[in-house]
Amino acid sequence: MRRAIAAFITTLALAAAATASAQEPRRGGTLVMGQSTGTTSFNNAVGSGTGIMVPGAQIFASPVMHDDKWNPKPYLAESWELSPDSLSMTLHLRKDAVFHDGKPVTSEDVAFSILTIRDNHPFNTMLAPVERVDTPDAATAIIRLKHPHPALLYAMGPPLMPILPKHIYGDGRPIKTHPNNTRDVVGSGPFKLVEFKPGDQIVLERFDRFFIKDRPYLDRIILKTYPDSQTSILELEAGRLLLQPFFNRVLELDRAKTNPQLVITNEGYAAVGGINWLLFNNKRKPFDDVRVRQAFAYAIDRDFIVKALHKGLSKVATGPIHSGFPQYSADVTRYSLNLKKAEELLDAAGLKKGPDGIRLKVTCDYYPGDEDGQKRLAEYMKPALKKIGIEVEVRAPADFAAWAKRMATKDFDISMDAAFAWGDPVIGVNRTYLSTNIRPLVFTNNAQYENPKVDELLGAAGREPDAAKRKALYGEFQKIVTADLPLFWLTELPYHTIYNKRVHNPPTTIWGTASPMLDVWLSEK
Amino acid sequence: MSVAGIPRTEHPSLEAMRMFARSPVAVGGLVLLIAILLVSLVGPLVYVADPFDIVAAPLSPPFSDGALLGSDQQGRDVLTGLIYGGRATLTVGAAAALISVVIGITIGAVAGYFGGTVDEALMRFTEFFQVLPSLLFAMVLVTLFSPTLTTVVLAIGVVSWPGTARLTRAEFLKIKQYDFVAAELAIGARRGRIMWKVILPNALPPLVVSATLAVGAAILFEASLSFLGLGDPNRMSWGLMIGSSRSYMLSSWWAVTFPGLMIFLTVLAVSLIGDGLNDALNPKLRERR
Repeated sequence: MRRAIAAFITTLALAAAATASAQEPRRGGTLVMGQSTGTTSFNNAVGSGTGIMVPGAQIFASPVMHDDKWNPKPYLAESWELSPDSLSMTLHLRKDAVFHDGKPVTSEDVAFSILTIRDNHPFNTMLAPVERVDTPDAATAIIRLKHPHPALLYAMGPPLMPILPKHIYGDGRPIKTHPNNTRDVVGSGPFKLVEFKPGDQIVLERFDRFFIKDRPYLDRIILKTYPDSQTSILELEAGRLLLQPFFNRVLELDRAKTNPQLVITNEGYAAVGGINWLLFNNKRKPFDDVRVRQAFAYAIDRDFIVKALHKGLSKVATGPIHSGFPQYSADVTRYSLNLKKAEELLDAAGLKKGPDGIRLKVTCDYYPGDEDGQKRLAEYMKPALKKIGIEVEVRAPADFAAWAKRMATKDFDISMDAAFAWGDPVIGVNRTYLSTNIRPLVFTNNAQYENPKVDELLGAAGREPDAAKRKALYGEFQKIVTADLPLFWLTELPYHTIYNKRVHNPPTTIWGTASPMLDVWLSEK
Repeated sequence: MSVAGIPRTEHPSLEAMRMFARSPVAVGGLVLLIAILLVSLVGPLVYVADPFDIVAAPLSPPFSDGALLGSDQQGRDVLTGLIYGGRATLTVGAAAALISVVIGITIGAVAGYFGGTVDEALMRFTEFFQVLPSLLFAMVLVTLFSPTLTTVVLAIGVVSWPGTARLTRAEFLKIKQYDFVAAELAIGARRGRIMWKVILPNALPPLVVSATLAVGAAILFEASLSFLGLGDPNRMSWGLMIGSSRSYMLSSWWAVTFPGLMIFLTVLAVSLIGDGLNDALNPKLRERR
């Protein structure tokens, strides 16, 4: 008996040892990663989009990183503290960090980068409250704010705040077209750029003097551009492509699920916070009437969209803020399929049925380039809204520019649309609802929604340093807009990462692959 | 067709009809086309439904509840799509072929009749269209003007006329040397009369055949454009059905197979008719029989 127990314990110990060695990270290897949008620049200080942010976060280091629970972690800054009045953020930088050209990273570089981003980044609310950056010594940078700005902690993350070497990018040439944005890029991140073939591939190589010891594990990252989702899935199945982030084609995801070599996960998109919605032209009749907008909401079956059209890979969006965000509130006006109520609302709004059963004819546009998140939902509007007497004509846009022009000139009835929140409502949510952001541009407040109370709430929430109070303000905002319904949220976008089982520790922090891949490693088989 | 050089015992078009009727293949094609036309034109009047309605769970297989031939990726009924989609497909086919024939005959006739610099200029112009890959060119046109039924028809018409123009020109070059044309000239007939009333009717037989085949080609063209996602999303057509379900081809064969079959049958019918017409209108073959 005792022997048996001893044998059992030995077996357990051996098994434990075996699993431990299987999980032991291994140095080396090349991670081949896919991307759907081509990279046009590596300088994420002046550009957004996954094509820039994913490689940018590998090449440049940022003051802080974030884990998968929204907690900031030291990166270039060893520590940081916010003054009691919340008006200055002091960063204590590591002293051992160097750029790829061997020069040290100093507070001068941090100050230069923050001001460059403030003045040039397309997300212009992100660092707008920054007044100046003081540099009392080489390892200390103090960010002075005009008013409290809690979003700053996320704006200092890897996809949004690359620290650029001032001695290269501060040479007076215009930063948006700086030649070093695309070649001889110099950062202080874990990987350096060695090859860039636009539209084809990017080769990043391990930076041996990277300031975190024994990281990264990978020797090389190759980013390959596959504009066609079917090509990526074939390459994944063949084992030539090891990791494909930002993937949202339902059919291919469904196919990857059944492949024993592949794993799919929706972790790593929390801060991205992508939501798609039906945009109403609030300035055009009859969409200026809230009853009409609500009628649309009661006629659209979002459960059908999620279960049938997205095969359960997305999630119903209940309001303007993604459910993965700390500011998300579930206490909002909810809309579920109710055709009777929809018809009553339309009757009350004076849109009576004609002899042919039609009350209203509308055109529906959609943002091209996202088949499952946009085009198919626009097509779905036709049968769904017909049930309440609304005839929908889908206006297929020729290309992105054609759709963007319709949005900018407000030449639409309803349109499918989507946006990413990027870490904080101030960065990616406000732009859709602030009356001050009704501009002749795509991805602004194209519903032309004006509510002084919402403007006030968003302003106050953006400045509120206390997290709980801030959440309450955003809660009230969510309550108001879900009742006003300037647009109707459909789903949280079905973004997933597909990866080969050889890939260990795939990026699952709130930024996913738009964060440095320090812990990712590859096993042999 | 009033003018002909050779004396005949019977009116030539009547004889052609007789020849056509004698060919079982051609008659088969005609019967098939009539059946398809009936389904597409009368079907929607008898069977009233909206092809865009969601009637079943997406991608239900054939013989499911509410979807006899299965449903597509949105849950729309494939059978309803087949019945209603024919109108758009056939309209595109006929209208685009008409446009291409009108442009082709006009340019070919003018070039062939006048010859010289006019011919030279028009043929270079034709070549410009001939060297462009026609599908690619049509895609560019549709993309530029956004996909609606009208733009699709125009795009197909505009890219597919050069063949007809070449054929017409060749016929005109040949026929204008015949004695009966010289006779018309001698009695002082005007150019317009000679071109359209004298030469054209004699050039018609090959052109009729080519026009028939152009209808089939235009239908295939529409299907190709829709397959690539450039069809009008508001008009159900067989091409649109294939285009919107093509990604599901391997998992749900019915959503693409049935509309594909309809296109195949239509183009086959049109081709058989074209073949029969060719046999019937070709004097050499006529004598052989």
